Amino acid sequence: MEPNNNQRIPYWNWIPAAFALSGIIVFIFATYGPPASSSGFVSTLNGFLAWMAPEYAASKAHYKAIPGPGSWLFTFVLGMAIGGFIAGRTSDKIPVRDIPPIWKQRFGESRVKRYAATFFAGFLILFASRLAGGCTLGLFISGSAQLAISGLYFGVVIFAVAMLTARLLYGKSAGKEDIQ
Amino acid sequence: MTNIWLGLFSGIAFGFVIQRIGATDAHRMARSHLMLDADIPRFMLLTVALSAVGLFGLQSVGVGRISPLPTSIVATGLAAVIFGIGWGLAGYCPGTIWAAAGEGRIDAVFALLGGLAGTALFAQLHETLIPILYDPTNVGQITLTDLFGNYGVAVAVLAVGLGLCIWAIGKLWGSGDRVIAFERAPDSSPSSGDAEKNG
Repeated sequence: MEPNNNQRIPYWNWIPAAFALSGIIVFIFATYGPPASSSGFVSTLNGFLAWMAPEYAASKAHYKAIPGPGSWLFTFVLGMAIGGFIAGRTSDKIPVRDIPPIWKQRFGESRVKRYAATFFAGFLILFASRLAGGCTLGLFISGSAQLAISGLYFGVVIFAVAMLTARLLYGKSAGKEDIQ
Repeated sequence: MTNIWLGLFSGIAFGFVIQRIGATDAHRMARSHLMLDADIPRFMLLTVALSAVGLFGLQSVGVGRISPLPTSIVATGLAAVIFGIGWGLAGYCPGTIWAAAGEGRIDAVFALLGGLAGTALFAQLHETLIPILYDPTNVGQITLTDLFGNYGVAVAVLAVGLGLCIWAIGKLWGSGDRVIAFERAPDSSPSSGDAEKNG
């Protein structure tokens, strides 16, 4: 049906992958509740602050709302990192790169430039997620699965703005040059 | 205590799958955003549709906890714009950051550190920003069920709507068959129209 059976593609087909991931998401709804990953950042900081500056953490609404590292929210993101590690180590086909080739082609080999950009992007993404109350998973995917308007609204806007940003960033060259 | 192990197990499974589909690869994400690779967006939307149906099944037998987030017209929208800029720039989102960092992508480690900084700043400003940006246009925990009056109908509408989006993405985006995970070949032939490849 799809022309994606090409052996050069190291990734799973998207349809069985979606069945696998939605199975995991339904399992999470059944055993815990709505899955979320940006809350894991708050949970991480919560643990750090409980040790470094407990009075500060106790005085802020955002840290009071989300539990520390001894919680599902933290072990979930920790598990994501472990899952990524295991998946990366057990695949010799999917390359692990510090700088995406599409970025290299546009902005050169500079690691400093790429790392500064992802640091800044990470900053924006998490600041925004905490403002909205969730991220791609916690608001768009899990919210929309619960039919929340917030999730659908967030999803439409993040896709539109990310597509526009990528277009402005990489220009038309990316499509024309057909980098692989 | 059980929650800790459930979270860990769920996270490992989740991280494994999103690595295998290539969502932790910022290169593939950028190509998705540039409409050159349809697989990730279709994967995401199909995941939402199947999860909604699965959750409907759970709810009908009284299992599972749901808690839809409220919609704040200004805060949710503004946050989505800021989020989209970051997503387009890095090719990572909060979940993939963890999995990609675990995979060993150093740019994701920097995104994670930036994310912690962004979280810390928002937590500091929470008491100031929430009353200004979030609360005035907060319309509550509205869902499609409120719109359509019936949970089952609303799930069906969502599934059909997402199905149409998936179909449209397949038509409008490139087919993804030119996605090769290796470095750029200098002699690669220029692309012909992406739509044709979808055939």
